[in-house]
Amino acid sequence: MNEPDKIILPGNGMPQPIKQSEEFQNLKGQLLKDIRRSAYVYRVDCGGCNGCEIEIFAAITPIFDAERFGIKVVASPRHADILLFTGAVTRAMRMPAIRSYEAAPDPKICVSYGACGCGGGIFHDLYCVWGGSDKIVPIDVYIPGCPPTPAATIYGFAMALGLLGQKLKASSHIQGESERVVMRHPGVPVELRVLIEREARRMAGYRMGADIADDFLGILGTKSSEGLEARIQEYLAKESDPRLTEIVTNLCEISTKAIAAN
Amino acid sequence: MLKLFKTILKTGEATLKYPFAPMPISPGFRGKPEYKPEQCIACGACAIACPSNALSMSANVEAGEHTWQLFLGNCIFCGRCEEVCPTKAIVLSQEFELAVGNKNDLFQNATFKIANCTCCEKPFAPQKEIEYTADLLKQTGMSAEAVEACRDQLQTCADCKRKQSMRATDKVELTGFMQKGNEA
Repeated sequence: MNEPDKIILPGNGMPQPIKQSEEFQNLKGQLLKDIRRSAYVYRVDCGGCNGCEIEIFAAITPIFDAERFGIKVVASPRHADILLFTGAVTRAMRMPAIRSYEAAPDPKICVSYGACGCGGGIFHDLYCVWGGSDKIVPIDVYIPGCPPTPAATIYGFAMALGLLGQKLKASSHIQGESERVVMRHPGVPVELRVLIEREARRMAGYRMGADIADDFLGILGTKSSEGLEARIQEYLAKESDPRLTEIVTNLCEISTKAIAAN
Repeated sequence: MLKLFKTILKTGEATLKYPFAPMPISPGFRGKPEYKPEQCIACGACAIACPSNALSMSANVEAGEHTWQLFLGNCIFCGRCEEVCPTKAIVLSQEFELAVGNKNDLFQNATFKIANCTCCEKPFAPQKEIEYTADLLKQTGMSAEAVEACRDQLQTCADCKRKQSMRATDKVELTGFMQKGNEA
């Protein structure tokens, strides 16, 4: 690289990422092939909440130990092979981020880390936010997550170094001719279903309650030679959770009352 | 020195084997939202609940299509879409290996047909949502014939319904609540 990349200033509010030449791409391929030493990572904070940083440091702790793959976090961009951009790129942190990109020696691999780095996350439409590190620098790997777990971080690093392949693919669906939604719990009357869901959610909270009600209605709706009581006992024995036992006993009472009333 | 070795032996190896062995994941882990387009009624509840607008719905009225889109890059894995989904079309899975090289791979979309209002012929609601309502009515105990009889009503937009109820003035009871009070 004879001439440094020109930093294009944002025009009409639209940021322009730094362009990479073809020579640069070739060099990057060469780096991945011929790297015979540790890959040094420098973490660039572009205005994040620090959640991502905490997970990056969790990834280099003994439990996950990214350093056994030679991934080492360094303190200066001048030592770095991989730049890890976290945060949604705020107006104030845009120039420091570009400066650290310029400071890193070529060829370098840029990784967009976390939901904010990939597309702005929950900050994507704020006035002072560029919305993603790909708006300022060319990105090679995107690691989504808020924040990504240490395991996801290690997977992302391995992808950036070309050790593991990509699993996720874009998908597209177009509504078919006779596509119809499968009704949930067709065997249970709607009124009873509402009663049970309400009680389960009252006792266990919105999400867990819905899960418990779903399990219970599944048992209630299936027809089998065994009695309902026996099947519920079997389910409770399998889960062996006193809290669940209490909730399900309550649900049983409600359903027997409702069935007796009809 | 010997004491140190003893401690090391007792502690064993703390480091997880991942990525050479599968990662142990606890139940309730919120990973990639797994979407079943066949089960989706395109009601848009998830798009309203999504705090980071990773889920969005857009209508193309000319083509009569309603498109659901998930941009995983913005997803914060909060699970609100799972909470609000009436048909369990979207459920958070245990999948966490989501890194991609190409940003386009973070997008998922599904296109649904919009049904027109039977009265004014304007685009009204996703076809699958209307079918789901009919199925739900059947589940509440209405006979299939009765549901078929009110199908026109199901597929009429709010504007047309308002106009129709104004036309049938003999059915409008302005003093209904007063009469109800007298009876009690």
